[in-house]
Amino acid sequence: MLDVSALTKRYGDTAVFSGVNLRVAPGEFVAILGESGVGKSTLLNCIAGLDTVDAGKVLINGTAINTLDETRQALFRRDHLGFIFQAFHVLPHLSVDQNIALPLLLQGAPDPKRVDALLNAVDLIGLGPRLPQTLSGGQLQRVAIARALVHKPKLILADEPTGNLDPKTAERVMDVLAQQVRQHHAACVLVTHSRMAASRADRVLTLTPNGIEG
Amino acid sequence: MLELLRQLSWPEIRHHPWRNFAALLAVMLGVALAFSVQLINQSALSEFSSAVRSVNGQPDFELRGQRGGFDEALYERVATHPQVAIASPVVEIDTLVLDAHKQRVPLRVLGIDPLVAGPLSPALMPQPNAGVDRLSLFDPKGIYLNGPARVRLAEPKMLRLQSQHGLVEFQVMGSVAAGGVPIAVIDIAAAQERFGWLGKLSRIDVRLKAGADRQKVIDELALPDGVRAASPDEGAQRASNVSRAYRVNLTVLALVALFTGAFLVFSILSLSVAKRQPQLALLGVLGLSARQRMQMVLAESALLGCVGSVLGLLLGTALAAVGLRLFSGDLGGGYFPGIAPPLRFDPLAALLYFLLGIAAAVIGGWLPARQAQRLAPAQALKGLGMADAGTHWRWVGPALLLASGPLALLPPIADMPLAAYLSVACLLLGGIACVPAGIGLLLRGVRPPEHALALLAVERARHQRQTATVAVAGVVASLSLAVALTIMVASFRDSVTRWLDALLPADLYAHAATTGGTGDIVVLPPALVEAAARTTGVKRVKAQRVASVVLDPQRPAIGLIARDVDDPATELPLVSDLLPAPRDATSIYVSEALATLYRMGPGTRFSMPLPDGRRIPVFVRAVWRDYVRQHGAVTMHLADYRRLTADDRVNDIALWLDAPADAPRVQEALRQAARKQGLDDALLEFAAPGEIRAVSLRIFDRSFAVTYWLQAVAIAIGLFGIAASFSAQVLARRKEFGLLAHLGLTRQQVLTVVAAEGAVWTAAGALVGLLLGIGVSVVLVHVVNPQSFHWTMDLLLPWWRLTLLCAAVMVAGTSTAWLAGRSAASRQMALAVKEDW
Repeated sequence: MLDVSALTKRYGDTAVFSGVNLRVAPGEFVAILGESGVGKSTLLNCIAGLDTVDAGKVLINGTAINTLDETRQALFRRDHLGFIFQAFHVLPHLSVDQNIALPLLLQGAPDPKRVDALLNAVDLIGLGPRLPQTLSGGQLQRVAIARALVHKPKLILADEPTGNLDPKTAERVMDVLAQQVRQHHAACVLVTHSRMAASRADRVLTLTPNGIEG
Repeated sequence: MLELLRQLSWPEIRHHPWRNFAALLAVMLGVALAFSVQLINQSALSEFSSAVRSVNGQPDFELRGQRGGFDEALYERVATHPQVAIASPVVEIDTLVLDAHKQRVPLRVLGIDPLVAGPLSPALMPQPNAGVDRLSLFDPKGIYLNGPARVRLAEPKMLRLQSQHGLVEFQVMGSVAAGGVPIAVIDIAAAQERFGWLGKLSRIDVRLKAGADRQKVIDELALPDGVRAASPDEGAQRASNVSRAYRVNLTVLALVALFTGAFLVFSILSLSVAKRQPQLALLGVLGLSARQRMQMVLAESALLGCVGSVLGLLLGTALAAVGLRLFSGDLGGGYFPGIAPPLRFDPLAALLYFLLGIAAAVIGGWLPARQAQRLAPAQALKGLGMADAGTHWRWVGPALLLASGPLALLPPIADMPLAAYLSVACLLLGGIACVPAGIGLLLRGVRPPEHALALLAVERARHQRQTATVAVAGVVASLSLAVALTIMVASFRDSVTRWLDALLPADLYAHAATTGGTGDIVVLPPALVEAAARTTGVKRVKAQRVASVVLDPQRPAIGLIARDVDDPATELPLVSDLLPAPRDATSIYVSEALATLYRMGPGTRFSMPLPDGRRIPVFVRAVWRDYVRQHGAVTMHLADYRRLTADDRVNDIALWLDAPADAPRVQEALRQAARKQGLDDALLEFAAPGEIRAVSLRIFDRSFAVTYWLQAVAIAIGLFGIAASFSAQVLARRKEFGLLAHLGLTRQQVLTVVAAEGAVWTAAGALVGLLLGIGVSVVLVHVVNPQSFHWTMDLLLPWWRLTLLCAAVMVAGTSTAWLAGRSAASRQMALAVKEDW
């Protein structure tokens, strides 16, 4: 599913990471641990084509995403990738169901039944018409999870999804994420510094400035 | 608070210098414009008043008659009164003088008695040139010019002045110290003899002995009809009163720029507060109270206002200095002619405008400060923004709109349309405040679109209407005022054009004088009218006599127009019913200004003075529209005028020709007739109605030049504000764009969303601005103008110009949003989701 080879990223003269190699099989759940500032989020952005790389290759389902132009990268993300962020990033002026439906709308394929199914799957049934301001942090992150899965992407990239949550809520959210990822047969790369979150993964790796270990 | 400003606000200002500079610039320009207009008007008024006082001297009172003067027999009675210390007789003549280029220019000539005038009017005492005999003061051919006259006439040695009998020659023998308009001083006997004033005086300046009772002396003098005692300050006070409406209107117009600036401050600070939500939320968590958050934002706006005001005062002073040099104190109203006032800086006015600038900024910052106060830290830290305003504010907009109606119906206060101005302010503020509710109402019936881009735009409009107000407020404020002024000026111009059409029905006009001031000196003999009627090619002739009389000593003289009127209903631009002529009074037709100022209307009867001071009973048959004489005018039938005054002179002749192409031949024939009657035919001027119309409209346009300029500045501030607020708004949404990039929105699609939102918001703002502007124009046309200048006009909507204005605003808003979007939707936008601040 995902094949990263010899990936190197620098900001000016400072190397963020170099020589990163990573293979994720379809449906595999991989967690990447690392200290703060080691470049976990940068790695995800490079994988998604949202940031440039200085060396190496990223293949997603055989497509070298880093070689695509900006527009085709965006279209590729739209069809094949799902994102979950630490800060939820739910649009405040769209209702819960509209936020979840957004990727489908971008594809021009609205599917209200699919949205309802995901609301049910993340235990937010009945909250579809509500605006995000009325939801708790845990609920918001579950909205983000539903949004990341609604268009059946092949790869989910999750950046510290439990970073803003209390331990109990974080556990619950990770349960939902792991369950849904497996149910949808999506590969998932989770970057975190939480061992609890990492424990849900099939494989736990560690990112260092010299590459990935584990 | 200072520490908060230093630690929190100053870095924010430094981080976004251009955005904050835009707000500062708006305040600065607003203060500068208003202050410069204030300084120019004040300097002109002071100079004019000072000049009037120097010409009028320092008597205890003046005895004045009507324009035609009074019998000089009164002088002996006044001069010999035991309580009168000095009585100085004066003859005032407004005439024309030939300048170095043989052009006729107005000149006021004062005939004085040098033996008695000195103590009362030292500025009028002739100062002979070096080498000139002191007895030249009594030389009937000697003339003395003040500084402005010498400059205007290029230091002449000889002068030829127009009198009733032709040109009379004078030798310039010296100067007088009086300032103001160009004046000349001659011996009073020469004035009476050479200008046809034998046996008459214009005024007697009186100084009483110490301890004398002014009123008792006036009573004992038993003044004849038509003569009254006036204060020497009357002229200066009249100049102030007469020009007050114009000065106030101009100042209010200049304050429009400040008003627009306040909206810009509102837009900038709203967006700043929105962008700083996480910071403010964190500060709230750390212990900064809601009240302190509000005070901090208010302090920021006050600081902006303070700096902007100081810069504005400096710029305004510079603008006033340049303006006085270029326009000599005349900003188009023509109230202070012929003076070149120096700049008089007024510290009190400076303080007032300094405070106004701060007030405008603080008012603009008040709502954003309230938003900062109402911020919910928990929501903000989650990045979920602020809720829209609570329901208790929703009544403000409709209440203001409702209040504007009754305010517009109130009468003037102190002769100024203050309630109408308040009505306009309520209309604007109420209209803008109703924008969120209006958008909500519009969208109520709109289902959420299924297209992603449309969904983003529509739902944003539906749930974040306060943001809409910020974006739209600047558009609405500047456009509505621009629309209102455009409609008002177009309505006025159209009404003036149609009024001219009604008053200029003939094919050719011959005239000898254009103002009541020179109307008694430069006249045409009645024989010339007969000759014109007999001229081949002339179908019909009508004559007109122009004079002036004083109805109320506290008010300026009114125009008295005696003309041939066969059918008043068609020959006069009537605005009232026409009543039948009575048998027991002379019929007159009063202008709108006269009707308003003197509370007259059709059916009014009163005793009207004639130029010679006698009074006659008159009956008002109708009211007519007049855009020339702001103090009022009366039209009467020429036959009645001649019967009552035995004055058969005319000032204007209207000629209907068999063929308009005959005009040059008819002109030449009339010149020949004039020469045969001993008239200097160069005094006879001809004009076709088209030429008169063109000159009149040129004067009209010139009088509105400052209005157009102020309007352009207000629009520029508004457009700049649109640019600044849209770009700030787009930049504040970088995180949202970053998320959309993650979800697969292409850069082009982000730009499309931004440009489309910009187009929709400016279109909405343009629509609201257009509607509000039309509403404001109705108040300006039907309330402000009549209450200010005592004339009415018909409303005209120049749709092409309004369309262009709206289009310009939409193009500015859309292109600005698109340009800002290009910056926000950069390669790095996706990384914005990681930004904390």
